[in-house]
This record gives sequence, structure tokens and C-alpha cells, in this order.
Amino acid sequence: MLKKIGTICTMLMLVTILVAVGCKHSGGGGNSAKPDEGTKPAYASKSDEGTITGKISFDGAAPELKKIDMSQDAYCAGSSGDKTADDLLVADGKLANVFVYIKGGPVDKFSFPTPSDPVVLDQQGCRYHPRVFGIQVNQPFKVTNSDTTTHNIHPSPKTNPEWNKMQAQGAPAIEEKFHRPETLIPVKCNQHPWMKASIGVLAHPYFAVSAKDGTYTIKNVPPGTYTLVFWHETKGEQSQQITIAAKESKTQDVTYKAAATAGATSMQIAPTLLLP
Amino acid sequence: MCISGKPSTEGCRLIDQKDKPANATANRGVHRLALILCCMTVALLVAGALVTSNEAGDSVPDWPLSFGRWLIRSNNFIANVRYEYSHRFIAGVVGFITLVLAVWTYFGEQRNWMRRLGLIAFGGVVAQAIIGGMRVWFPEYKALIAVPHALVAQSFFAVAVSMVVFTSRSWWSPREIKTDEKGLPLRTLTGMTVLAVLIQLVLGAGFRHQAFGIAPHIAGAVIVAVLIATTVITVVRRHRDDGYLARPAKFAIALLIIQLGLGIAAYLARLASAGDPQPLEPMISLTVAHLVVGALTLAMMVTLMLRSHQVLAPARQTASDAIESRKVQSAPSGSTV
Repeated sequence: MLKKIGTICTMLMLVTILVAVGCKHSGGGGNSAKPDEGTKPAYASKSDEGTITGKISFDGAAPELKKIDMSQDAYCAGSSGDKTADDLLVADGKLANVFVYIKGGPVDKFSFPTPSDPVVLDQQGCRYHPRVFGIQVNQPFKVTNSDTTTHNIHPSPKTNPEWNKMQAQGAPAIEEKFHRPETLIPVKCNQHPWMKASIGVLAHPYFAVSAKDGTYTIKNVPPGTYTLVFWHETKGEQSQQITIAAKESKTQDVTYKAAATAGATSMQIAPTLLLP
Repeated sequence: MCISGKPSTEGCRLIDQKDKPANATANRGVHRLALILCCMTVALLVAGALVTSNEAGDSVPDWPLSFGRWLIRSNNFIANVRYEYSHRFIAGVVGFITLVLAVWTYFGEQRNWMRRLGLIAFGGVVAQAIIGGMRVWFPEYKALIAVPHALVAQSFFAVAVSMVVFTSRSWWSPREIKTDEKGLPLRTLTGMTVLAVLIQLVLGAGFRHQAFGIAPHIAGAVIVAVLIATTVITVVRRHRDDGYLARPAKFAIALLIIQLGLGIAAYLARLASAGDPQPLEPMISLTVAHLVVGALTLAMMVTLMLRSHQVLAPARQTASDAIESRKVQSAPSGSTV
């Protein structure tokens, strides 16, 4: 009897490992590498571009903002500025920090010039400013430290190379680039675990981030039919089809429900692929 | 013939006073050092668990130096760096103790396999340091690297516990060799349980590092609970009066009960803290306690396994045969184990 129990337990343990490893390898996850954009023809403007605007609403009671415990670092604890979580900012029923972008249609057929102006991510009051932002492929990305404490900047992309750099107080700006489109890359300071940001890397300039009043505007959109994607860090992704005629201004509102979640997390019961 | 429960005779003694090594003093020193190594390894496991629970694994971006130095400046010893740097510092201390223990064992031990065990321990700590360094160098593979890091950590702890057991006074005391009863030998059962506990600890690490979901760890918990319970029931049924075997079994079942409670509490705390802006209490303490009690459970099962192999002869072999065969095997090294 004992021998049977022992054999069964050993077999079950081995099966458990095989299932875990098997699911890990067969699961989805991650964006596959996308081809470089350089081979596409350059977009030539016909001055007939349109505009997409809208408001992002939040259906439900505004969540209570959780307090951040910055006591681990005396400088952070003593710094001025907000000390509450900013992952879900709702004001008057409107949702901020939603990354909005278009995909498909003409923007996938052309390449677009890369801006030379850097996108700046500043560390101030032991928070990232801005929390959510977009950047074009190969556009300069500059990280500055306005704090008098040390941070490390650690983006965790899936298709771009991962890097992790320390930045002491007064250190020169860190300059990097992202070479592949990827939505969205989480950024974290591992020294101050509440410091988080998200970067949307796109091959085109047609993206925006909703303001505190929930509004967003995407200008100079080439006429065509697109998928308009709304992404929020904790509330997940929504998408809608949209057609922009020549010189058209279109309003596209969207509502996030309070009960929505961003989907897979490490807490899920089923085995999952979370490895790179 | 030696039979369990019968009074021991001279022929039934596995380790006799005459088998004690001449340099018994040195062995006591090795034992104490191995004990210190075990305690420091537990401290290292706690530090490692704090690193993971506080998400501090990448807070020091360079390795083997930390911010370009062996000893970091005090103004850098803040926030999550405290956990990561403490982990590295304690790891250095454990590495040094292991080196001293390996050298001492190599030159002070008469048992060749003990010498090899000392070298294996040192090889383990070096491998673990390299894996830890790779974890820093290749952050994109952190989950993939963290799992073997946990496996080597717990395996090293098991080796350290083994060295404590092998050098302990109780190991050298005269013992009666017993013939294990028919059915699943306790030696085999304890071996399977040690393996299962080790795998379960790795599955737990996989969950914490987000390499796996929670399901494999829960399935592993059920299997480990059944195996430990079966082992303890077997010990109680067959060797209730022998404290040498019964004591670690009782400790193991007590630790298992605590561990199951801690596991459920840690998971619930983790679920409740899913929306928190940072890792907070009680999730951190519960997770660390869960890891430490898991390691202690492994230590108890390793102790029980080693003692079972020492004092139990397979049912097909008489105890006297077992003694003779072991004496022949250990004759070249000068000590009988």
C-alpha cells in the first residue's frame, strides 16, 4: 500500500513539473519580433490628414487612491509631491493615462520620419514623470534624475533589448533608443518599487495619452480605416474600428468599466508563460 | 542477527567507539562550523526571500561589484538596495565559511566521501554565486535564472544539513542496526520525500518569480503533504520508540502543518495585495516565513533520510549482513559508516 502511494506521489510530482514546463513553452505571451520599418516607402503627405479626438470615461465609483510607503528612503519620504498611487487616476468620471494609438490601415504601409527631439522621462519626488507616454521607434529617449537620491531605470520589454542602469543624483541623463515597436513596455525603479511607468513604442507618430480630464487628440492622421486601440495599465485594452476621411475630425469616446482588469497576472491559477 | 526492538549486541552496532576517528576533536570543530554554515544559509535564504518579496532583485545593476565597489557607500544603502546588498554580503560570508569547511574537511576528515561532500558544498556555493551573477547580468531571463538559483540554494542547504548530521555526536554514537519491515522501505520513502520537498521548493520559487502559475505549487503541496504524512506514519508505526528516527519525523509533520498554514496565508495576502503600489506587509513576512519553514522541512526530511540509511537495513538483508558489508566498504578510509 505504502509502496503504491509513494510511486503515485512521485509520478504526480513528475507530471506536475512536466505540465508546468510544457505549459510554459506552449503558452502564448509576448509580442513576436516585428520587421524593421525601414523597407516601407516613406509617407508623403497630401495635406488631407484628419484628427481623432475623444474622451475616456470611467463607469463606476472612483477608486480610493492607495498610499505609497516611501519610508524606505528618507529623501523620498521627505520630498514634496503626491504620495498616492497613480496607476488609476479618475477625476469626475474621466480616466487619465490611457495610451491611445492607431494600427492597421495606411500607417502600417508607410514609414514615418523619426523625430530628433528626445522624449524625456524625469524622476522627481521619487516618481516617474510622465507615468505613461509614447515614443517612436529610434527616437531618442532621455532619462533625467531631478532627485537627490539614486534611482535605477529598468525597462522590461519583450521584443526590445532589456536594460537596467543606475542613475545617481546629479548624474548625466541616460540616453537610449527603442529599435522595435512594442506596446507597452513597463519601466520600474527596483530601488523604489512603487516607481512605475509605461512606454508605448510605435513606428508612427499617431498616438496620444489621455489627460486628467480624459481627453485625447491624435492629429494629422492619414485618411483610412484603422483599429483605434485604448490601453490602460490596470484596466486593460479596448479597440474600435475607425475610418477617417480626408480632413475629417472624428470624435471617438470610450468607457472603461470599474470591474475591468488588465488580464493575466502572476496570481492566476493556471500555469502560464511569463518568461521571455 | 539484529532485529528492531531487541536489545543491541556488540555485533549490532554500526558505529562503535573504536570506529571513532582519532582526530575526534577536529570533527567536533567541523561539526560546529557546519552548524554555523547551516545557520548562515538560513539567514541567506531569508535575505534571498526578502529580495524577491520586495522586488529588489535588480536594484543593484552590476555584479560582482555593487555600484562599482565591494563595500557600498552608506548613502547607497537605502530602500531596496538594503535587501539586495545584504543578500550579496551574507552570500559572501557563506562562501567563505564553506571554503574553510571544505578545506578543514579535506585535511581533517578520514572519510573520503566526507571530503568529497565538502568539495561539493564549495562547488555548490560557487555555482550559486555565478547563477546569481547571471541573474543580474541578464535581467531579461530573470525568471528562467531564478528557478535554478532557488534549486541550487535549497540543494546547498541540504548538503550543509548533511554535513551537520554526518559530523554530529549522535551519528557517531553506537546504534542498533534494524531490519526494515517489508513493504516500502523507509529509506526509499524518505528519499522520495526529500526529492519531492526539493521540487516543491523550486515550484514555489517558480511561482514567486512568475515563471509558473500557482497550480503546480498547489499540486506539489498536496503531493508533499501526502508523502510527509506517509513517511511520518511509517516511522511512528515501525520505529515509535526510537527517538533517533521518530524525533525528526515529528518535527517534520509539525513543520508541515505550519507550512500549509503559512502557504495559504501567504497566497491570500498576495491576492489581497495585488493592487498595492508596492510590496507591503503582511505579504512580505508571510512569504519569507513560508520559504524558511519550507527549508526547515527539507532539513528535517534530509536528517530523517540520512538516519534511516544509517540504521535501517533493507528487509531482504539481515542487519548483520548490512554491518559487515558497510564495514568492508568503509575499511580503506579507516572509519565505518
